[in-house]
Amino acid sequence: MPAWPEKRRWIGSRATRLDGPVKVTGAAKYTSDVQPEGWLCGMILRSKWPKAKIRKINLDKALKVPGIKAAVLARDGERTVRYYGEELAAVAGASKQACLDALKAIEVLVTPLPFVVREEDAREEPAPRVWEESPNLSKPSVNEKGDVDKAFTECAAVVEGFYTTAVQIHHPLEPHGNTVSWNEAGVTAWSSTQGVFSVRDGLASHLQVPQNQVRVICDYMGGGFGSKFGPGVEGGLAARLSKAAGAPVKLMLTRFEQALAVGNRPSSFQKIKLGAAADGTLHAFEFENYGTAGIGSGGATAGGGSGVELHAPYIYRVPNMRVKQSAVAIDAGSARAFRAPGSPPSCYGMEAIMDELAVKLNLDPVELRIKNDPSEVRRKQYRLGAERFGWKEKYRKPGTCPGVVKTGVGCGGATWGGGGNRRARAEAQVNPDGSVEVRCGTQDLGTGTRTLIALIAADTFGLTPDQIRVEIGDTRFPYGNDSGGSTTAASVCPAAYDACTKALAELQERTGVSDARGPNWPAACKKLGVNPLVMPGQWQEGLSSSGVGGVQFAEVEVDTETGFVRVRKVTCVQDCGLVVSKLTCESQVNGGIILGIGYALYEERVMDRHTGVVLNPNFETYKLPALADMPEIDIVLLDMPERGVIGIGEPVTIPTAAAIANAVANALGVRVPSLPMTPARVLAALGKTGGPA
Amino acid sequence: MRPFAYATALSPASAPQLLGDDGRYLSGGIDLLGEMKEYIAEPKVLVDVKALPGLNQIELGDKLWTIGANVTIAELEDHDGLKQAFRGLQQAAAEVGSRQIRNVATVGGNLAQHSRCWYYRQRDVYCLKRGGDTCYAREGENKYHSLFTGNTCISPVVSNLAVALAALDAAVIVQRGGKLQRMTIAELYAKAWDNPTAHNSLDHGDLVLKVELPVQGRRSSYLQASEKAMFDWALVSCAAAGRVKGDRISQARVVLGAISNVPHLVQAANDLMEGKVLDEPLADKVAGLVLDKAQPHSGNGYKIPIARALIRRTLMQLKTSP
Repeated sequence: MPAWPEKRRWIGSRATRLDGPVKVTGAAKYTSDVQPEGWLCGMILRSKWPKAKIRKINLDKALKVPGIKAAVLARDGERTVRYYGEELAAVAGASKQACLDALKAIEVLVTPLPFVVREEDAREEPAPRVWEESPNLSKPSVNEKGDVDKAFTECAAVVEGFYTTAVQIHHPLEPHGNTVSWNEAGVTAWSSTQGVFSVRDGLASHLQVPQNQVRVICDYMGGGFGSKFGPGVEGGLAARLSKAAGAPVKLMLTRFEQALAVGNRPSSFQKIKLGAAADGTLHAFEFENYGTAGIGSGGATAGGGSGVELHAPYIYRVPNMRVKQSAVAIDAGSARAFRAPGSPPSCYGMEAIMDELAVKLNLDPVELRIKNDPSEVRRKQYRLGAERFGWKEKYRKPGTCPGVVKTGVGCGGATWGGGGNRRARAEAQVNPDGSVEVRCGTQDLGTGTRTLIALIAADTFGLTPDQIRVEIGDTRFPYGNDSGGSTTAASVCPAAYDACTKALAELQERTGVSDARGPNWPAACKKLGVNPLVMPGQWQEGLSSSGVGGVQFAEVEVDTETGFVRVRKVTCVQDCGLVVSKLTCESQVNGGIILGIGYALYEERVMDRHTGVVLNPNFETYKLPALADMPEIDIVLLDMPERGVIGIGEPVTIPTAAAIANAVANALGVRVPSLPMTPARVLAALGKTGGPA
Repeated sequence: MRPFAYATALSPASAPQLLGDDGRYLSGGIDLLGEMKEYIAEPKVLVDVKALPGLNQIELGDKLWTIGANVTIAELEDHDGLKQAFRGLQQAAAEVGSRQIRNVATVGGNLAQHSRCWYYRQRDVYCLKRGGDTCYAREGENKYHSLFTGNTCISPVVSNLAVALAALDAAVIVQRGGKLQRMTIAELYAKAWDNPTAHNSLDHGDLVLKVELPVQGRRSSYLQASEKAMFDWALVSCAAAGRVKGDRISQARVVLGAISNVPHLVQAANDLMEGKVLDEPLADKVAGLVLDKAQPHSGNGYKIPIARALIRRTLMQLKTSP
C-alpha cells in the first residue's frame, strides 16, 4: 500500500498559496472576467408572483429592443410558478442596459394564485397548497429505539427545549453564472462551479449534445458552499441564448437573484427532550423537527443532501429515543446542499439541550460532553481545547456575571466524513528541461487545490513548489470529482501523488538515474531527450481516510440593555488527518468559523407573508459578518499524518453557532432559543419586549 | 436603470432650471443610484451639484460653523476641530455606512436620503410610500420600523446626521424658488410626519446648500445600537447635547432616530432637565417622557428598551468633555 513520504519538506509546511499573487492583483480570471470574442450579456426574467399560472409569455417586443440578439423561454407552454423569482425567460444583448430594457418589454399573462411563504402558516390546514397533489406538511419519518416513554421515568433529570434556526442563503461572493459558447464546434462553458464535470454532463443532457462535445472550464471561482453543482437553470438558458444568437453569452446572476433561486439552508423547528442519570449518562431522547426546503429539496445533493432532516441526537448515543421529522413546503426557492448539510442546526439544537442538562445536573458542560461523547478524538480535543481556551477560569454558573455587559462561554462538538473519491485521476508531465506540469480536472473552490498539488509534487521530486505548474478546472484534463462533502483534498492529493511517484519511477528507469530527486533532477530530465514523460495517476487506498472530529469553544459578551452580542474568542481544535498545506487549511477553519458566526448572529432570509417576496435580497439587510464582528480565532490542528488526507471544509463550520449560542445562554442565564440571535431576540429572551416606558 | 440625461450645475441658481420637471440632484449618489437601479426612482435628468462653488467646506466662525452640503461624511468624521466642538456630530458621522461610503456620501445627501424600509426598497412592492395604498410593514415584518408616526407609513428617518444636528439646534439653508430659506431640523422633516409619500419637507427643486451649527458651548454625544458592530443601520440612534456645569445640565436636548419618520424630540423631556443634576435617575425620567407615547408593532417593541439605554448612555457621556 502506498504511503506519504516520511520526509516532508513542503507537505504540512506554511508555504504560501500558489495563486495568492494573481488573486490579489486581479490577474486571476474568474468566470465573470472571461470575455470571448463577440460575447453578449444575458439576463433572466423572473416571476414577480409568488405563485401564478403562466398563460402566455410574449417575447416579440423584447426582441425588437435595440441591441437584443436573442430571447428564449425558460419553459414552453402553460405552467405554474411556485415562488417569487422563478425563471420565466431570458434575453441576450449587446449591453446590460439593452437586456434590462428587454426584460421590461416582455409581456407575461398570468393568473395569480394563493401562496404561502412561512412555515408556521404553511403547515396549518387549509393553507394554500404549494403542490396541489399533496399537503404542505409531509408525513413524519419516525426513528425509534428502546422504550423512550419508560426511559424518561427512569431519569434523574429531564430537560426540554424548543429551538429554531432560520433559512440561511449561500451568497458566495461570486454569484452563480456561466459564459457559454454553443456553435457547430460544440459547447464551451466557463462556469463558476464546484464541479466542472457535473456542468458538462448537465449541459450535455439538457442540450442533447454528446458529452465529448462539451468542454467546461473553471480557472478560478469565488465560492459555492454547496450551491454550485451542475449548470443550473441559468446555465441552460445561457447555452440556448448562445445558440439562438450565434455568439457567446455571459449570464451571471445578480446579488438580488442569489437571494431567490439558487439554494439555501433549510430552517428548523426543533422540539427536544433529553433525560439522563444523575452522573450525566444520557438515557432518553425525544426529538420532533420540521423545517422548510422551499418548494422542494433541490437538485443538488452532493455533500450529504439538502433535505430538512437533521441528525438527531447528532454525535451522541442515547439508548432510548424517538425521532420524528417532517418537511413543510412553502412558495420559496429550493434548498441546496449548504456547507455541512443538516449539521449546524443539528449541532445547535443538540448542544443547547446538552447545556440545559448540564445546568440541571449541576455538571460542568465540558465534563458532561467528555462523559457522553463516543469519539475518543473529540474527548481528547475537549481536554486540549479547554486547557488552551482557559475554560476552567472562564466558566461560571449561568447568569452570574455581574454588570450590564455580561460575558459567557460555551462549547460544542462536530463530526464529518471528508474521505476521497476513488475515481479521481491526475497526470504528471516531466519535461526534458526539468519543469513539471501536473493536471487534474477538478476545480478549486478557493480552498487552495493548486497549492496542495504543488506541495505534493515538490516533495515527491525534491523540487520547490514554484517549479511545478498545476493545471486544473477543465474537463479536458483527467477526471476530478465534484467538490462536495469536503472530498476534494482527499481525492486529488492521492491521485496527484500517485501520478508523481509513478513519473519519478519511470524517469529513473528510463534514464538509469537511481535517485533523480533534488540535485539530480535536471541531469536526469535532460536524459529524456526531446519527449516529455507523461504519467497518469489515480486515487490510491491508504493515502486518505474519512471521519473527523472537532470541538469549538466560544467566549461572548452580551449587552443586556441593547441585546448586542459580540464574540470575543473562538478556539477550534480540529482533526483532519495529514495536514498538506497548513496556511490554506487554517484559512478554511477561519472561513468556517466566520460562516458559523453569521449563522449564529446575523443571517436570515426574511419573507413577507402578504406579498410573498424576499424582503432582504441584498447585503444591506441580509447581514454578513464583517471585520469588526470578528473575534480572536485560535486554531489547533491535530496533525495525524498516519491517517492520510481528510477534508476540513465542512466540519469546521458545524459547532460554531452551537458554541456561541451556549456562550450567550451562559452569559444571560436564559436561553435565546432562535438563530440568528439578533438584539430583538436577545431582549425578548430577557423579557425586555418593550412595555410602557 | 432608465436612460437619463446628465447636466452639471455651475451655480445654485442654474441648478433648478437644469432639473426640469422630473430631474434629481446628484451629489455622492449613494442613495439616489440605489433607487435608480431598483427602478424606484426614474429621473430623466441628473443634475450634478458637486461642482457648485463653496459647498465643500467647513467654515469655523466664532458664533456659527457652516458645513457645505457637499462636504463628505468622511471629512466630518476626520475633522479634528469638530471632534472637539461637536463630538456628537462627529460620532454620528463615524457610524454612517462604511468608510468607502463615507468617502463619497455627502452631508446634503445624508439629510435628504430616502426611506430604507425594505418594502419601499423592494422593486416589486408598491407600498404606501411609493404611491400604493398599503403600508405592508404594519401587518408584516417591522423589526426595523417606527414607534411613532403621524400617518400610516411607519418607515423611520435614518439619517444619523439629522439626529445629531437636531440636538445641536442646527439649521439647514435650502434654496427654494430662487430664495434662501432657513429650516430647523424639525422643519426639514416635518412633512414626513403627516405625509406617507414624503421622506422630508424638501419640494422638487429645493436644494440643500449648507448646515449652520451655532457655537453654544454645549457638549454633545451620539450613540446607536445596531445588529452588527460596523457598516449597519441603527436600530435606534440617540443624540444628546447640553451645557454641563459642575454636576448640573442646562439647555439639554435628547433626540432619537430610526424610531419615527422624523427625528424624535419631546420638548417636555428637555425642559425637565433644565438645571437638574445630571445622573441616571434623571436620564430614566427623561427616557420615560421621550418614549411615553410609543406605539410598538408586532416586531419592534424591543426598540423601546434600547432607546431607554441609549438615552441614559448619551446623557452620561455629556459628563465627560471630548
